Amino acid sequence: MFLRIVADSFGRRPRHKLLTGAALALGMGVATAALSVSLDVGDRLAKEFRSLGANLLVTPQADSLPLEIGGVDYRPVNAGAYLPEADLPKLKTIFWHNNIVAFAPELQFSVQTARWDSSTRELKERDQNSFIGTWVNHRLALEDGSAYSTGIDKTNGWWKVDGRWFDETKRECVVGSKAAARLHLHIGDEISANVPDPSRMVQLYTSFVVTGILYTGAEEDEAIVTSLSRAQDVSRLGRQYRKLYVSALTKPEDAFAKRDVKSFTPAEYDRWFCTPYISSIAFQIQQELPGTDVRVIRRVAEGEGQILTRVQMLLWLVTGAALLAAALAVGASAAASVIERRTEIGLMKALGAGSGTVGFLLAAEQLLLAFVGGGVGYALGILLARLLGEKIFGVAPEPSLIVFLVVVALATGVTILGSALPLRRASRYEPAPILRGE
Amino acid sequence: MMAALHTTNRAMFWRIIRRLFGANRGRLFVMLLALGAGATVTAALLNLQVDAKNRLTTEFRVFGANVLLVPRDSGAPQGQAALDEAILNQVPRHWEGGTVRAVPFLYYVGTVRRMVRQFNPPEHVVLVGTHLDELGGLAPGWKFAPTGPISLEPRLNRCILGTRVASKLQSTPRDNLELFILPGSEAVPAGKDKSYPGDFGTIAGVVTTGGPEDDQVFTELDALQKLATKELGAPPGRVSVIQVSVPGSPGAVKRFINEVSAKLPQVEVRGVRQFTEGEAKIYNRISGLLTATVGIVLLLTALCVMAAMTNVAMERKMDVGLMKAIGGSVRRVLRLFLVESALLGLAGGAIGAAVGIFLSIGLGKAVFGVAARPRLIVYPVAVALTILVAIISAYPLRRLAAIRPASVFRGEA
Repeated sequence: MFLRIVADSFGRRPRHKLLTGAALALGMGVATAALSVSLDVGDRLAKEFRSLGANLLVTPQADSLPLEIGGVDYRPVNAGAYLPEADLPKLKTIFWHNNIVAFAPELQFSVQTARWDSSTRELKERDQNSFIGTWVNHRLALEDGSAYSTGIDKTNGWWKVDGRWFDETKRECVVGSKAAARLHLHIGDEISANVPDPSRMVQLYTSFVVTGILYTGAEEDEAIVTSLSRAQDVSRLGRQYRKLYVSALTKPEDAFAKRDVKSFTPAEYDRWFCTPYISSIAFQIQQELPGTDVRVIRRVAEGEGQILTRVQMLLWLVTGAALLAAALAVGASAAASVIERRTEIGLMKALGAGSGTVGFLLAAEQLLLAFVGGGVGYALGILLARLLGEKIFGVAPEPSLIVFLVVVALATGVTILGSALPLRRASRYEPAPILRGE
Repeated sequence: MMAALHTTNRAMFWRIIRRLFGANRGRLFVMLLALGAGATVTAALLNLQVDAKNRLTTEFRVFGANVLLVPRDSGAPQGQAALDEAILNQVPRHWEGGTVRAVPFLYYVGTVRRMVRQFNPPEHVVLVGTHLDELGGLAPGWKFAPTGPISLEPRLNRCILGTRVASKLQSTPRDNLELFILPGSEAVPAGKDKSYPGDFGTIAGVVTTGGPEDDQVFTELDALQKLATKELGAPPGRVSVIQVSVPGSPGAVKRFINEVSAKLPQVEVRGVRQFTEGEAKIYNRISGLLTATVGIVLLLTALCVMAAMTNVAMERKMDVGLMKAIGGSVRRVLRLFLVESALLGLAGGAIGAAVGIFLSIGLGKAVFGVAARPRLIVYPVAVALTILVAIISAYPLRRLAAIRPASVFRGEA
C-alpha cells in the first residue's frame, strides 16, 4: 500500500515531480562540477606553475662563494668545487621521485672564442664569452633500467630557440640572441671555443656549429650554450657540473611545514617526510647527492605557494556558493511541494493515517526524488567538469567517488531539511478545514 | 467617467497585488528566499570575480621584478656600470592603477672581511649597492632576518648579507665589516690581500633568497658608488641595472615595456621572460577557470531559482480560477501575476544583492587578506538579473489561462 501511494503520487503528478527533480538535478550538477574542479585544480595549477622554472637549486657544499654578476661567474674555472655527473640518476630514486618534473645540470665558465674564415683559414676574430654546458632532451638511464628524458628545455620552458636545439651527440651549439648579434653569428656558422691553458704553446680550439639562436630574456642571451659533455671537454674538467636546477611539484607550505625540522617528533617527521613540501624534497635530494647544498629558490617557490593557496581558497568559495545556492533552491522547491499537498494530507488524515505515517510517506517520496535527482545531477556535473577541465587545462578531472557520496548526501540532507518544516506543519493540520477548502 | 473608471481599475489592481502578497505568507517566504539566495550568490560571485582578477595580478608580484632596465650594450658588466642613476626618476611610479616599484642595483666584485681582533681572511663576494629599505617591497619572496633591515645610527654604512656569506663569515647582525672593490673583471686573484683601505659597513640583517643573492653583500647605493669612484675612478651616479616590478595584467606589463622603451631610448627595457610568460599563462588559466565556474554557477543558480519559483506558481490555479470566474480577462490576470513576480524579484534582488556584496567584501578579506572593493555596477546588474529570472519563472502561468474555472472549483484539476 505504501509503495502504491508513492508510485501513484509520481504517476499522477509527473510534471510537479519532474520540476522538483529538475531543480535537484541542476543544483547537484553545479555542486558536482564545482567540487570536481576544486578537488582537481590544485594539482593542475601546480603543474602550470612549473612553467616558471626550477624551484630548487643544487650547488656544491664546499664551494667558495660564486662571484656571479649578470649570470657570469667571475671565479676562474679551476676555483671552487664541482659535483659528479654520475650521481644524477639518483635524483629519480628519492621518495618523491615522481614529483620531480625535470632537472638540468649546468656548467658555466668563460672561454676564448675564435672564428676562422672558412675559405682562407685565417683567424677572423677572437673574443671572450660566457660558455654554458647543459642538458637538452637528455636521455638518462635510470638504475631500474628505464630511461628518463630531461633537460633545460623542460625546466626553463620560456627559453625559445630560433632554428633548433643542438644535438648532444654532435659538436653543435646554440648562441644567445645578444651574443649572436655581437659576434655576427648566424645559424650554420662555426665558432671555436677554448679555455686558455698557460702550460701549452699551442691552444687547442674546439669548433661548434651554430644550430639555433636562443632567446631567454635573461643573462643566457649573452652566452653560448652547448651540451654538458662538450662543455666539460672544453673546460678539461671531467664529468662534473656546478649547478643543478630541479623543478619539482610541491604542496604549498603551511604552518606545519614552516616549523623547524629539528623540533619534530618522530610521527611529525614522518608526516613531513611523506608530504611533498619543497623543504622535504630538498632534504631528500640532499641525502641522495652527498656534498651538496640544496636551496629553495624562494622567488619561485614562495610565489607559487602563496598564489596556489589563494586560488584554491577562491575556488572553494565559489564551490561553497554553488552548494549554498543549490541547497536553497532544492530546499525551497521541496518545501513548495509539501505546501501544495495540503488537501492530500488532509484526506489521508481523515482516512485515519497518523502524523507519523503521513510524514514518513512524504519523506520517502522526497528521498526517492533526491536520489534520482542527485544521481542525474552527478552525471550532469561530471560532464560539465570534464568540459571545463578540458577547456581550461586540456585535461579532464577524474570522476571521484568522494564527490558522488558528498553530492548524494547533500541532496538527501537538503531535501529533508527543506521538507522538514512544512512537514511538521502538515502533521499538525486538522483534516476538516482543509477538506472544506478553508 | 472613463478616467474615474480607469483610476478605480488601477486602485483595484494594486489592491489585489497587496492581497496576493498577504494571502500566503509561507509561499511568499519561499519565493523571496529562492530569489534572495540567487541574488546573493550572483552579487557575491560577480563582485569577487572582478576583484579577484585584479588582485591576482598584484599577487603575482610575489615573484619580484618582472622588468629590467639595462644599458644598451652591456658587454662587460664589471667596472662599466653605464646606466645613469637619474633614469630611475623617469620610470613611471604608477601604472594602470597599481604602484610600480623600481630599485637600482650596482654590482662589483670585491672582498669582505669581518673586523675582529684575530686575523680573518677576506672573502670574495659580489658587492651590491642598492636602496636597502626598498628590497623587501621589490621582492616579497625574499626572507629577511630580522624582518626588515634593523635601523642603525645613520652615519653607519648598513649592509645586508646573503645567507651564505653570513654563514661563511660566521657573522651576526651589528658586526662590523671591511669592504673592498677589486679592480678588473677578470679572474679574481685568490687569497691576495689588498693594502689600501676600502669602506666599512655594519651588518643590519641577513637575506635568504635561494638565488645568487645568497652570495652577495648588499650596501646602500651611494656608499658603494662613492667607494667605486674612490677606488676605481668610476664616474659617479652610475648603476648596473634597475629592477622594476610592474603590477597589472600581462597586457599592462607589455604596454609598460613599450612605453618606457619609447621614453628612454638609451636604455634597454626587457621583460624577465621567466616570469612575464609564466605569469601570462597562469593568469589566463586562473581567470578562465574563474570566469567559467562563476558563469556556470550563475546560470544554474538562475535555473534552480526558476524551478523553485515555477513549482510555487503552479499552485495558483485556485486564484486564477476565481478571478476568471468573476470576469477577469486572461490578459489582466496574467499581468497581475507578472507584476507580482517582478515586485518579488525586485525585493529579493535588492536585499539579496546587498547581502551578496557585503558577503564578497568579507570573502575577499578571507582569501586575499584585503577586503574586496565593492563595485557599484554589480548591484544593479544583480538586481536586474533577479527580476529577469523572476519574470521568466512566472512565464508558465501562461498555461493557467487555459484553466476552466468550473473544473477548478469542483476540485478536478
